[in-house]
Amino acid sequence: MVAGGVVTVIMGFVLVVLLISWFSNPPFGLGNAPAQPVAFPHTVHVADNNIQCEFCHRNVTKGASATVPAVETCLFCHQNIDGGSADSQVEIQKVRDAFDTDTPINWERVHRLPDHVRFIHEAHIRYFTDDDIPVKYGINGEELAETPDVALTCTICHGDVGNKVEVQPKTGQSLKMGTCLDCHRNNSVPTDCTVCHK
Amino acid sequence: MKLTRRNFLAWAGLGAVGAVACEGFGIREGELNIQSPVQLPEDLVRGKDNWYASLCRTCPSCEGIVIRVMEGRAKMIQGNPFYPTNQGKIHARCESGLQSLYHPDRISSPMQRSGARSSAQFLPISWQPNGMDLLQTALQERGRSSVMITEPLRGHMSLLASRFSSAIGGEHLGFESIDNNTYRAAVKSVYGQDSMPDFDLENSQFILSFGADFLSTWVSPTRFNRGYGEFRQGEHRKRGMFYQIDSRFSMTAANADKWLPIKPGWEGHLALSLAQVIIAEGLQAPGVDVASLTGGDNLDNFRPELVVEKAGLTAEMTDGNAVEFVKNLARSFAASRPAVAIGGGSAGASSNGLFNLEAIYALNYLVGSVGEEGGVKLNPGSPWTDVPSSSKVGSLEDWIRITEQIRSGQTNLLLLHGADPVHGLPDSLHLRNAIEQADDLMIVSFSPFLDDTSAMADLILPDRVSLEDWGDDISEPGPGFQMVGFQQPVVNPLGDLDPLSFPDVLLTMAQELGKESQLPWSNFKNMLREGSDALFELNRGSIEASSAEEFWNNLLKRGGWWDENSTGSKYVQPTAGLLKSIAGKASDPDFSGIGMDTDSFYLVPFAHNTLMDGYNSHLPWLQSAPDPLSTVTWQTWVEVNDQTADRLELKEGDILRIESSKDFIKAVVYPTPAAPPDVMSVPFGQGRKHGSDYATDRSSNESSNVMDILETTQVEGTGSLAWAGTRVKVSKTGESVSISKLEGDARAVEIGLTPAEDIIKTIAPENA
Repeated sequence: MVAGGVVTVIMGFVLVVLLISWFSNPPFGLGNAPAQPVAFPHTVHVADNNIQCEFCHRNVTKGASATVPAVETCLFCHQNIDGGSADSQVEIQKVRDAFDTDTPINWERVHRLPDHVRFIHEAHIRYFTDDDIPVKYGINGEELAETPDVALTCTICHGDVGNKVEVQPKTGQSLKMGTCLDCHRNNSVPTDCTVCHK
Repeated sequence: MKLTRRNFLAWAGLGAVGAVACEGFGIREGELNIQSPVQLPEDLVRGKDNWYASLCRTCPSCEGIVIRVMEGRAKMIQGNPFYPTNQGKIHARCESGLQSLYHPDRISSPMQRSGARSSAQFLPISWQPNGMDLLQTALQERGRSSVMITEPLRGHMSLLASRFSSAIGGEHLGFESIDNNTYRAAVKSVYGQDSMPDFDLENSQFILSFGADFLSTWVSPTRFNRGYGEFRQGEHRKRGMFYQIDSRFSMTAANADKWLPIKPGWEGHLALSLAQVIIAEGLQAPGVDVASLTGGDNLDNFRPELVVEKAGLTAEMTDGNAVEFVKNLARSFAASRPAVAIGGGSAGASSNGLFNLEAIYALNYLVGSVGEEGGVKLNPGSPWTDVPSSSKVGSLEDWIRITEQIRSGQTNLLLLHGADPVHGLPDSLHLRNAIEQADDLMIVSFSPFLDDTSAMADLILPDRVSLEDWGDDISEPGPGFQMVGFQQPVVNPLGDLDPLSFPDVLLTMAQELGKESQLPWSNFKNMLREGSDALFELNRGSIEASSAEEFWNNLLKRGGWWDENSTGSKYVQPTAGLLKSIAGKASDPDFSGIGMDTDSFYLVPFAHNTLMDGYNSHLPWLQSAPDPLSTVTWQTWVEVNDQTADRLELKEGDILRIESSKDFIKAVVYPTPAAPPDVMSVPFGQGRKHGSDYATDRSSNESSNVMDILETTQVEGTGSLAWAGTRVKVSKTGESVSISKLEGDARAVEIGLTPAEDIIKTIAPENA
């Protein structure tokens, strides 16, 4: 009886850990589109005004992290651009206030990978935008008709962010290990553990 | 399951473990944050560069530029290839716009004087409430007795400054140490034009220039350099002929086929002498009505025989016979059509400067080059009805009046922007003294840098620099058609700086003072936008757009608007008897003060190639840019003829005391064979007493202001400063310094002394 209780406790514990681990990651539940401190519409910036991804995520073609822009970068434009609606003016004022009061903005991460995974944006963008690689496959195994540019490469994993008011993971797209392995295999990229795992 | 004590404890334990697991293995608050830092990290340059079109404000010619911006930081300035006047080229001065932006001596916040008037001691204050409130109170209490002194303004800023001054009951004056008022007056008198003309150098066959250093500092040197390049090396044309008649060997003279060193102040006589030869020999262009032009005066009083000696033209410098030389020059000038005569600089800066320039510009009528290709291109007016295309600049006469008003208390508020009159006016005007003694005077400076006048201010409200602010400009001279340049902020001020845009401060004050009827705009950008909308309504020109918004965006992208079909007059009818009228104004140049003693010299100051009149002297790139001829940097030098130097036992680096009837300065001797023996030439620009170390941190032996010794002689008819109208005596001080120059120690000698050297001499086309 005692042994059964211990097993029950252990099993329950493991079950809880697994459930939390699975469901706390997008796209299957918790945190798919967390509330952000500033309602930043990618639609206005990307789709309407054609601002390149790299203008704000300035490290995306250069290093591991895409990075989010400094508040000062927002003020390049929003020093003078007020926004077309009352709601947008409120949000822009938040950014100006952050700059004036020297307060960083803490965004909520939407796309995330476990700590033991090393993902380098630069390497992936370099691969997909390389004209010398004749055939390339997308994240779901589809063959890409032509070499994508940087913006199109971003959509392979992140979906059409430019047309989303609220950023959330690509519909139905898991960023779990199986996805990575499938894509690596399709593109004949090494799948050794140490390629991705720290 | 029966709830026993054992089961209860088991489930309680499981629940506790689950709770701990949920908490322990869940995601802590902030774990998934990604932070946007406030300031850009300076050590991580990523992303793409952006190029923005704007305007250079380092000198009055105001060239079109593009600025490379990376990560919110301006990195490089280049010429705007679309901009009609400079077409992608820029002067070295433009590049230093970056140094204005990042200068360590920028005034970071508003300041209030805390010490004596000239102590340059200030305490920082805030914009609100202190800075703006003090300004508002000053304007309310003293506006009616105020004078606003700015750099020469054109476009909407000119409109704003004049309307603001008018609204508060004050006066607005533009300030230039070396003003072009005499040149403007000559253009108005001879051609009847309010705007400066352009010169079509690229299509000219003969350039005859009197005193204008148009390849270095005069009016619009980048535009003229572009034309000059075509004049010399343009495809499908033969190399043009160029004579420079000048009392100093300038960079322009160095590029001429022939430099004729004339005595200062006699340029007009020589011009009329050329006119006399052209008329007497019937060499005028076909269709020129000589009888109407001369009004019956055949200019016999200006025959070369009567002029050459007074003008100092010797047989030695004119291939053996000065009279024949002048006649041959007149014949070549008249025969090489199209030909153009240009006058400015020292030719207009003696007491008879207006006569000189009128005589020079009248030559263009005789050779038929007014409004013609290869000649004088007249410029149209502003595309806006109420926005001036030409800057209004005060003359010496005005500054004497203002000084007297300050002394008498009639003016008790000075508003300064982009002007340093204490440094830029002759010391003998005693403006500094008048300001120091005026107890009730309040000075408000909007300068982003400390200078000699700002150092005496009561309140400093630092402006943004041009790369951080809005603006526009109507090019003067324009390219022969209507054009407007636009300036946009390409970066934000650095985080430790707190400047406010000068025009925005004026508009804010206008609202606070209830002057919205005269100045209805909430900020300067809106005022410019209104101007853009008016251009859109014209429905012509270089910008195509379907809406006013699209027009505004395209305007900023391109850096301006222009309409090549909206040109200036093609033909101007000269006033009947023009030459007779000009000849009637002829007078000898006045050299009061020391006078014409045999042991004295003409003092011919000149605008520094990069520092100009000294307003840029806080910029280290411009201090260290070598003078094109002497290669001297950082110092004030005096160009002395090498034979004169031998006679006075002077050698390079000696400190020379240069004394007029007003005062003395010291300068470093630079002996050169290319200086007339009776002329001492000293650049303007150095000798600042306050402000950045780059401008001030040198002894009076090496950095002095030639303005300190100028006589206050005025140009007859314009009241401008006759800055080439001073004679000086010189004496050795016994001191010597190492001259700061790039040139080696080998002496410059005239080429062509041996047959081998002769092959690299310039050969005139008619002799080829």
